[in-house]
Amino acid sequence: MSDASLPIEQVRWQWLPPWLRPRTVEHKGTGSMRLVETTLLVLAAVLLAVATVNDVGRSVSVNHRLVADLRTWRHYTGHDYHNISIDQQTFGLDSQREVLCANTSPGPPEARTQICLAIWGPVVKGRRTVHGGWYLPPRSVDLPANRYGCFGPGAAGICRR
Amino acid sequence: MSAVAYSERLPVRARSQRWAPALVGLLSLLLIAATLEIVLDGALGHSPLVPPSPDIAGWLEGIGERLGYRVFLIALLVSVGAYAGLVALSGRSSGESAGAAVMPWRWAIALVAALQLIVFAGPVLLSTDVFSYLAYARMGVEHGLNPYTHGPVAIVGDPVFKYVGKDWIHVATAYGPLYTLLSYPLAPLGLVGALWAMKLEALLASAGTLALIWRCACTRGLDPARAILIVGANPLYVIYGLGGAHNDLIMMLAMMAAVSLTIAPAPTRGREATAAATVVAGALIKATVAVLLPFMIVSRRRLGPIVGALAAIALGALVGYVAFGIHGIDVVAALNRDAAFVSTDSFATEIAHLVGKPGVFPIDHDLLKAALVLVILHLLWRTWRGYDWVAASGWALLAISVTSTWLLAWYILWPLPLAVVTRDRRLLVATLVVQALFVIHQISPLLAPVE
Repeated sequence: MSDASLPIEQVRWQWLPPWLRPRTVEHKGTGSMRLVETTLLVLAAVLLAVATVNDVGRSVSVNHRLVADLRTWRHYTGHDYHNISIDQQTFGLDSQREVLCANTSPGPPEARTQICLAIWGPVVKGRRTVHGGWYLPPRSVDLPANRYGCFGPGAAGICRR
Repeated sequence: MSAVAYSERLPVRARSQRWAPALVGLLSLLLIAATLEIVLDGALGHSPLVPPSPDIAGWLEGIGERLGYRVFLIALLVSVGAYAGLVALSGRSSGESAGAAVMPWRWAIALVAALQLIVFAGPVLLSTDVFSYLAYARMGVEHGLNPYTHGPVAIVGDPVFKYVGKDWIHVATAYGPLYTLLSYPLAPLGLVGALWAMKLEALLASAGTLALIWRCACTRGLDPARAILIVGANPLYVIYGLGGAHNDLIMMLAMMAAVSLTIAPAPTRGREATAAATVVAGALIKATVAVLLPFMIVSRRRLGPIVGALAAIALGALVGYVAFGIHGIDVVAALNRDAAFVSTDSFATEIAHLVGKPGVFPIDHDLLKAALVLVILHLLWRTWRGYDWVAASGWALLAISVTSTWLLAWYILWPLPLAVVTRDRRLLVATLVVQALFVIHQISPLLAPVE
């Protein structure tokens, strides 16, 4: 085909080597590009599916543990409160050791003196073991400077005052 | 296959075709019932799935019960199952007459309209974002503050403040100046009025997007009823997108308007310039849609889209600067800030957990960005060599949501309107698979109930 018979759009790109020239309609070819793309897509989908299922299993395990922690806090303090904060950072995200804090007497969240419990170990009969704890003044967050009255081996080195 | 075997299979196929319309009816009812359950239970409030809100759905109280994780997830799974069945059936013809669909187009429209209206009538679902939109609008109109330099915490005394998500009270708006200016007229309507206006805005944007999808599907010789069913009845679109009145719906309206302008039978230079300007307008609502622009330009290879885009960028920058100063047009800073966020639902976090890491690290952000750049370069090359730019844009949006460390349900809606107006069926399958994985990731409270 001569240049004269090409549309203006294609003539503009004649200076490029053929494999670099733009196309208005995709060249079907042997379909190898599509095969490679589809294979990569399937592999990516498998990776995402495995990661998703793994994460669901992980979440289930964490939920199971946290429900046991809430039961433990209520059993230990004798208060059937529902506004209990759970902190997974104090002992490290992967430590499976949690700190649960809530009021020692009825009131809005953090409005009263709070008791925090350090809880870890296996779930036995729906609860885990309390290894120690500390108190926080009303309207304060669980920072080392605010902790007082530490008790139990789990609180060793946790209190600063 | 032998002639005998073929003739034996015919009655089986005829039987399956007879019950297909009944199955469509049943699945549609299931989808509506599950959506109603979520909305009616959500109307009661006091649920972790319904953010604290001014009483806008009080007239629905007393019908449902408090919406818990268990009921919500069961309803969501029922919706997803019914939706999957409808999508599968909508691709088949009834067999009674050639080309007659199992699901008549009137039925598809009625179903989609019913789902959208049910959610519109109910409470705000699953997200506090709409209150952030209102807070930014009230900051500008009622308090004379620049929402690009202050977070909602600057208006602690305003009635909207207590409804803003606590993670966002210190965060200045990341939305485009066009969206912020569009939301300003709603601020004087009062909290309840403005909330209804936001919900109406989302509903109208959704209706507009669906109408444009219909038009694009017709132009491209695809089944328009199936296209709007796949988008408009999608549980994530209905429950999360419309339920939360997210501005992503307005962004998607601009996106589909641009696509509709370019895939007209004979697009003129003016239409192509307008299409590019419309993409820029969409990016001035939410920046993500800007990813369409390079694909449109590479596909068209004409001056029109470039001129249209540059003119719109200049105008948008001028308006943004006059209204909000330099912070109003500093899109890069806002994108960089948001790119650093990490959500538990992101695939990046899931993969980090899979390989034994506690979460996503800064190096992972860089790797994900590099992967995204490679995907986009490959798609641009394919578009240059004749691949459909609309499909390439859909893949790019899907890649953005999959590689994002901050993934929310309404982000994986972005590629869906493009996927139903392209001939590359892999895009639709991939989008729906990603959505299905997102839903699966939500189900852990069903397996180990939380309080």
